[in-house]
Amino acid sequence: MDPITLLLILVGITIGGLLVGVGVHFVPVGGAPAAMAQATGIGTGTTMLAFSSGALGLISAGFTVHDIYSGSLKGAYPNFAPSLNDGTLLTASGIGPNLGAIVLVIAAGIVGSMLMMVILAVMANILYAFAIAVPLVSAKVKYDPITGDRQDLYVTRGTEGHGTPTVALISALIGGLLAGAGGAILYLALVASKFSVPTAAFIAIGVFFVNSVLASYNITGTIEGFHDPKFKRIPRAIIACTIASFVLGIWAIAIVYLGVV
Amino acid sequence: MVETIVLSLGAAALMGACATIAGAAEDLESDFGSQSNANSQVQLAPQVGYLHRYYNKAVSGEPVAYGFLCCTGAAIALALNTALGINIVISLALGALIAALMYAVYATTAYMGRLTGQKRFGQPIYLDILYTTTPSLIAHAFIAALGIGAFSYLMNLVLGQPFPYPILAMLWGVIVGGMGSAVGDVHYGAEREYQNKPFGMGLPAAQSGKIVQKGEAGLRNSMDVAGYCVKHGAPLTGFGLGITVFADSWREILFTQFWNGWGAMVAGLLLVLIWVIANRILEMWTRNTYGPYKTAED
Repeated sequence: MDPITLLLILVGITIGGLLVGVGVHFVPVGGAPAAMAQATGIGTGTTMLAFSSGALGLISAGFTVHDIYSGSLKGAYPNFAPSLNDGTLLTASGIGPNLGAIVLVIAAGIVGSMLMMVILAVMANILYAFAIAVPLVSAKVKYDPITGDRQDLYVTRGTEGHGTPTVALISALIGGLLAGAGGAILYLALVASKFSVPTAAFIAIGVFFVNSVLASYNITGTIEGFHDPKFKRIPRAIIACTIASFVLGIWAIAIVYLGVV
Repeated sequence: MVETIVLSLGAAALMGACATIAGAAEDLESDFGSQSNANSQVQLAPQVGYLHRYYNKAVSGEPVAYGFLCCTGAAIALALNTALGINIVISLALGALIAALMYAVYATTAYMGRLTGQKRFGQPIYLDILYTTTPSLIAHAFIAALGIGAFSYLMNLVLGQPFPYPILAMLWGVIVGGMGSAVGDVHYGAEREYQNKPFGMGLPAAQSGKIVQKGEAGLRNSMDVAGYCVKHGAPLTGFGLGITVFADSWREILFTQFWNGWGAMVAGLLLVLIWVIANRILEMWTRNTYGPYKTAED
């Protein structure tokens, strides 16, 4: 493989990992307190919540790549399969003719991830509404930035809110969008460097986990979304995730360059 | 082409059903074993003086535990099916069984280890809890692993997802763990563990750890918890997973043929929009029905 292709693959892995790390900051994580209706957000840990949504994005992106490569969309994007076979998908001349296919795969990752995130949040809200019988509010803001509803009167005294109000849900969707896009770009970059499908899936999962955990350490526990004061910590995560994904990308292209796979 | 779509839709419906059962079993298993978020209260209880008879498992949190449980089951099934030529249904069942037994080992060591660490607070280790609850745990872990292994296999075989089904089982295992943690564990943690608190409020921070010790008849144990959560939390978890599996497969099967694949993306975004609107309606309903806890001063 020529150096430009390797460089583009490295850029793809770095950008994919960075998007994942940034997306995790938007997801409303309540952690263990949310499972006791003590905090706003979805009651799972940061890492695993982001990974759950990214996993569905990855499955969706894998489906779409397979459809374009050898399935029902093969006729609509004829350049994709030969580019993937030659390893010329991520070259200066390969991206142009395949741009439609690349955008479709990224969109597939986004849609899968957003769907998972919204179902997780809304099913939890159904449980909060009917089994716990609490309103869905946040204690970090007085008025919901998106709907303008008053929040503090509806918060149980002694808690930090409960459920996932609209602002947190929109934040979750943005987080799902970024994480899904990142996962799809990761998978595409790996598949384009002639890794087999299972290997590419595995490496994508690995890079996803690394960035997810880094972002979760930056958040240190719970975050409610973009309206939370902890969101201002995002510059540190951008630097850390870029470096981490870059290092992992170096490993990946080293494996490709040495011809191990 | 219509036949392929009909076959795929039928498989997707079966996958949705498998996922619903697997999701419910997953949440029940985490209620039997008191895993993940709600277990933080069970862990805290002896330290604030509330000795209990709950199981105390928490094998690394639900998503990771289920990811690897289902991946192990599916990987063993793959090995049995391809190397020994055993029928796939029997392979999946045997794989799920071995994975569930392995999971029970982790559960037992977790229980013994965690409670030994709380000896200084006076918390005893109840061997009868270990003997009676662990088999229920194995049974539900088996159902969950089998369900997820089965629909991962169908996704790979019939729907044409290119990942091998152990990897799909791992991804779906993480998703089911996340669903159980976000949905079912709230029913356990906020409702059942604090059954003696008034209905209709969250848990104040000062009440953390003061879980129910005396149940409806006798001392509370994790069997009571699962028997309660099976009525709401577990089916809702299963429904959440089932609708995820079905909606994602449905939109991909039916709408990929439109607009060079973009039909499926538009369908997905419309589904997301419907859910967001439903959430807003639910939010308004809770605010109007339950009302504020205190009136505004201004």
